[in-house]
Amino acid sequence: MSNQDNSFLKDFNIETILHHDEVANISSDLPMRKWLYSWLLDPNIPGNYLKGIDKWISYLIVANLFALMFEHVPAVYEPFKQSFHLFDIFSVAVFSIEFVIRLYLAPEDEEFKGRKNARWGFLSSPFAIIDLLAILPFYLQAFIPVDLRILRFLRLLRILKLFRVLIPAIAEFKELNKGRTFRQKVHALVYTSAYGGTIHNIFEVFINVWVLISVTAVVLESVHSINYILHLQFVILDTVAVAIFTVEYVMRIYSSVEEPGFKGAVSGRLKQAKTPSTVIDLLAILPFFLEVFLHHLFDLRFLRIFRLARLLKLARGSDATAVMFKVIAREWPVLVAATFIMFLLVILTASLGYLFEHEAQPEKFENIPTAIYWAVITLASVGYGDISPVTPVGRAVTVVLSLVGIGIFAIPAALLASSFSDELVKKRELLKANIYDILKDGHISDEEASIIRSEAKRLHLTNAEINALLELVRKEHELEERNPLPIHKISENPALAVEHFKVLLGQIRQLGIQTDPTRFNAAAQENDRLSASEFDLWKKIQGKA
Amino acid sequence: MTTPQNSASPVEKHGMGSEKYFFIGFLIFVVVLVALLGSINYNEALKTEQAKSNGEALTAWLTEAGLKRFDEDSPHEACKGGVKPTADAKSGDSVTGTWGPCFAYIMKKTKLKELSNSFFNTPPKQISQCVTSDRTAMGAIVLENLVATPVGSAIPFVISPLTDVTAIDTKLLLRMSVCDKGGYAIKISEFDF
Repeated sequence: MSNQDNSFLKDFNIETILHHDEVANISSDLPMRKWLYSWLLDPNIPGNYLKGIDKWISYLIVANLFALMFEHVPAVYEPFKQSFHLFDIFSVAVFSIEFVIRLYLAPEDEEFKGRKNARWGFLSSPFAIIDLLAILPFYLQAFIPVDLRILRFLRLLRILKLFRVLIPAIAEFKELNKGRTFRQKVHALVYTSAYGGTIHNIFEVFINVWVLISVTAVVLESVHSINYILHLQFVILDTVAVAIFTVEYVMRIYSSVEEPGFKGAVSGRLKQAKTPSTVIDLLAILPFFLEVFLHHLFDLRFLRIFRLARLLKLARGSDATAVMFKVIAREWPVLVAATFIMFLLVILTASLGYLFEHEAQPEKFENIPTAIYWAVITLASVGYGDISPVTPVGRAVTVVLSLVGIGIFAIPAALLASSFSDELVKKRELLKANIYDILKDGHISDEEASIIRSEAKRLHLTNAEINALLELVRKEHELEERNPLPIHKISENPALAVEHFKVLLGQIRQLGIQTDPTRFNAAAQENDRLSASEFDLWKKIQGKA
Repeated sequence: MTTPQNSASPVEKHGMGSEKYFFIGFLIFVVVLVALLGSINYNEALKTEQAKSNGEALTAWLTEAGLKRFDEDSPHEACKGGVKPTADAKSGDSVTGTWGPCFAYIMKKTKLKELSNSFFNTPPKQISQCVTSDRTAMGAIVLENLVATPVGSAIPFVISPLTDVTAIDTKLLLRMSVCDKGGYAIKISEFDF
């Protein structure tokens, strides 16, 4: 065994792999400004705070946008005027600190360090101007009386700060899609693919945020006191949400022909339109159009509740939903059988209830369809109690059927829970097998490390679990080193058999060299441990015969 | 996941140009359509807001008038409290002591005569209840009289519509609602009159 083999996976640190993105390797010996730049703003150092800073600044910009929107609603703004003002001060403070830090660190930035005056270079850059515009109105109002409406408009410019995140993402998207068709670019934007890059993630986050906003709005609309104040805002919000979701829907249908299995200008798009996720997309926007076009004919207010279907849009990227559908598809025959038994039991229970209770309570057990309600409530163990048997036979039958119902009604739930759990275990085992294969050669490439990271995150594998897996691979490797292949496997390949024979001969010769020949001979002949022929063979191999 | 290797050819296909422009055109059409429908919705919502404002204005007037209507020098004779209604009071009569003449006075002689129902560009009318199937109910005002039940009752109030012949000689607890575009009631507030 070589030295390299001895250290097989010994220096392998799972912490480094799993937390690759979280720990930046920055020397503390760097000069203060360089060190600070490396930690805060250097885009070339993975694991520094740049991503986090960009993320939280983006959140603050979006929060500012909402604050600005609500400031236009007197019923919201007036009672919380002070809080709005404090939030504005906080935002300006954060943006100002960010601006000052960027200005101080400009000489370390690749973009400006080559210039005669790096800080002036930064100040005259479009991003710095945007940053300044975001905070300047706040300071200006302290010296110049500025109209509140103009001030609010200027504060709207803070949204431009988002371009700091968007522009690099767009540049990356352009680079990834160089030479590709327009439709392919639209596809890359809306569907998950290798060409999407950061802009696809931003697009998904944007859609998901709007799903949450619109669903929250639908829920709050049902609260009279809130809807009374914000009715107009809810109408505007719904229109914007529908516009966004409609554009997304059209983009998905248009570019769906780029998806494998959806080829064909018409047939491919129709096939895509029939997929569950696209049907959900349609349901999310349909109530808006139906209500506007058909409200003269019917009262379609009830359709508004279907706007909550937008929440299902979040399920598109959810692995758990995919697992759930898979489980339902797999267990479908059993679920159908269980449903059929449930159906039979409900009809039987309702009929018996009607038979025994109709005379005693004709108004409650009026007919079998009425009794079905009681049967379902009883068998499902809900037991509202608004309808209950009063005759002794009726009660006796109810006792028996309730006990049976507990078992029968629990079957589908238990089945789904168990299958769901099985599926998750299976996925974890599959991942473990993949990681096992990756670790087997004792070397982990960057690509393999990335797979381990993403899969461990997806399946919530802990460091301890990965370490246990690592230990397993180590032991397996040691075992293989001791006994590379079983004899029957070696015997299948003559060349390998010859090589194996040579290895064995070498080991026997090594044994002869290392052992004491006098004591070996005495031990071999004692009690006929080795037969005469075996001892002769030993001497031949040792070259002494 | 689609990989760069197995995706469609990056070469611009024949006919892709016209399809691209059709898509962009359709996208613009969709956005314009949604904006147009949204603006229709917004305008309709504005009419409902106007109806709410009417209700709020009437509530404010009635609340303020309610504070003084039992005074000797009450400025609004038609709505004066403590005046027993005549036995044969009918809608349209100018007799005091009932709601009909009071409401007519409010809508003709006070600053509230300027109120307008934006759905029909007419002065808001009072109806007994909002009915979803009645298109003329949009923007109408509903006033209900809440009479407290004895302590321990299952329901706290008996609610009845305030009609033209309802006596207003005593202090009343009223509930103001307006009907929205769909004919559903939007509660404005409850107040003493």
